[in-house]
Amino acid sequence: MKNYYLKVLIAFCMVIGWQDSYAQNTTKKVLNIIVFGAHPDDCDNKIGGTAALFAEMGHRVKFVSVTNGDAGHFAKGGGNLAKIRRVEAQEAAKRLGIDAYTVLDNHDAELFPTLDIRHQIIREIRTWNADVVLTHRPVDYHPDHRYTGVLVQDAAYLVIVPNVTPDTPPLEKNPVFLYLQDHFQKPYPFKADIAVDITSVFSKKMDALDAHSSQFYEWLPWTEGALNTVPETEKEKREFLIKNWSRTIQPEVRASLKKWYGEKKANAAIHAEAFEICEYGKQPTDEEIRLLFPMLTNNN
Amino acid sequence: MKKIGIIVLSMIFSLNLFAQEKTQTPLRIIAFGAHPDDCDSKFGGTAALFAQLGHKVKFVSLTNGDAGHQSMGGGILGKRRREEAHRAGAILGIEYDVLDNHDAELIPTLHVRHQVIRKIREWNADIVLGLRPNDYHPDHRNAGVVVQDAAYLVIVPNVTPDTPPLKKNPVFLYMNDRFQKPYPFSKDIAVVIDNVLDKKVEALAAHDSQMFEWLPWVSGVKESDVPKGKANRLAWLKKRYAGRKTWSKEDEGVLKKWYPSRDLSTVKHIEFFEICEYGKQPSKEEIMQLFPMLNH
Repeated sequence: MKNYYLKVLIAFCMVIGWQDSYAQNTTKKVLNIIVFGAHPDDCDNKIGGTAALFAEMGHRVKFVSVTNGDAGHFAKGGGNLAKIRRVEAQEAAKRLGIDAYTVLDNHDAELFPTLDIRHQIIREIRTWNADVVLTHRPVDYHPDHRYTGVLVQDAAYLVIVPNVTPDTPPLEKNPVFLYLQDHFQKPYPFKADIAVDITSVFSKKMDALDAHSSQFYEWLPWTEGALNTVPETEKEKREFLIKNWSRTIQPEVRASLKKWYGEKKANAAIHAEAFEICEYGKQPTDEEIRLLFPMLTNNN
Repeated sequence: MKKIGIIVLSMIFSLNLFAQEKTQTPLRIIAFGAHPDDCDSKFGGTAALFAQLGHKVKFVSLTNGDAGHQSMGGGILGKRRREEAHRAGAILGIEYDVLDNHDAELIPTLHVRHQVIRKIREWNADIVLGLRPNDYHPDHRNAGVVVQDAAYLVIVPNVTPDTPPLKKNPVFLYMNDRFQKPYPFSKDIAVVIDNVLDKKVEALAAHDSQMFEWLPWVSGVKESDVPKGKANRLAWLKKRYAGRKTWSKEDEGVLKKWYPSRDLSTVKHIEFFEICEYGKQPSKEEIMQLFPMLNH
């Protein structure tokens, strides 16, 4: 009898095991993406379209602003401005359909790559159980952008070390780390290793930028001496956003689109976002990149 | 009698002079890694060759390695790794210092820069080796920065004035890595280490908390796949970290430059070094003097 039960148990386990592996092979894994920008609106501007695509496909996206943006205005500042920008960030997340937008309370324009902020970032990556981590290159124009790049780079690898920030369990694998696009040439230009066609979600991205009204309709035009060019009506404001914040696809980004989407789709793309692979995270193969960016398809 | 005394004295002096011309002053080399085992894995072979030739080598680990384990940590691990480093140093025939800065928390502060300046000055270094500031671990990058920042300042008397300055800026070199950005490692100097490879592997094995515990764990090797017993472990480590490499055309060119009169078809193991722009810029002849094992 014992033998009989054992056989039944073995058969049962085999069925369960088979179902498990079947499930793992067929059910799409939900991807966890986390993006670090220096200020509330950086992530939106650099990866808002791709984030909206991830969200539409059921993947989990979190934006983190490493500073609270409390210096980004000509007439407002401090905690009051930070509060406005945190609300704007929440609204932008809602419009993109992403899961979370965290604004850390580090002062704007005063970011340094200190250990305590490195540990904040390690905790964010671990608690999100991230598959992909994105951030600025450490050569971008604003010191906060550069130091955000350094801080996130410095979290790579350490996220898997148990003795580091031991209050938060380590990840089992080093995620893929990617850089957001910029136009700086030194010490070397941005490399469009991955390019995502965001034409279908471009209006969602503009909706997200529109949510940061303290920035796109006040502070940023003011820094250009163009505050008087900001229009009044919603329709004109949208045209203003598109005119100032849609980038034409550069030849190297178009070439990358062709690699990932094929000639026909790539040529039809009107808006794109590009990403560079950082050497300090997991180094993915092309097949792994397609699994991590399931919107990259070349079936027409 | 006085005259005889003077003659004898002058004879002794001239003998001394003769001795000075004959005996070469030992070279003094200091290498800075971020963790106890970094210098060993990137420079262990060349260090052993220097030591065999009677030159003085010191390894300095800028952190105490107290985060590098899956189930140990803190002061206990720091102590274990310091002992491992001393064993490795004895095997290579060199000195090994482990500074008490925390692992995974190295920041290029003035305090650490001054520690590095003092170490270089006290060792009276002819050559200083460090990591490039674009290596994979933040501690490696910051260690690279802090050693770069000591270059030149080691000769400035008003900097860290508790320790007399060097008379000359040493040659600063980087140890090899695989990173491509912002630019790939430049293989300026190549040292063949085939004769001391076993010694290098033995020195690595002295870091048993790393080679047989932490590094296998963090790279997903099962504990049961790590062999037991000294001989098995050495063989496993040799296979894992010192497998036969194939050399690119560029590597062969560098080898030929430094070993012009040697048959290179049998060379199996090399350590490469890049010249840092912030130290003394040595000529080819000066490099031959600083690396007397070249072309042998």
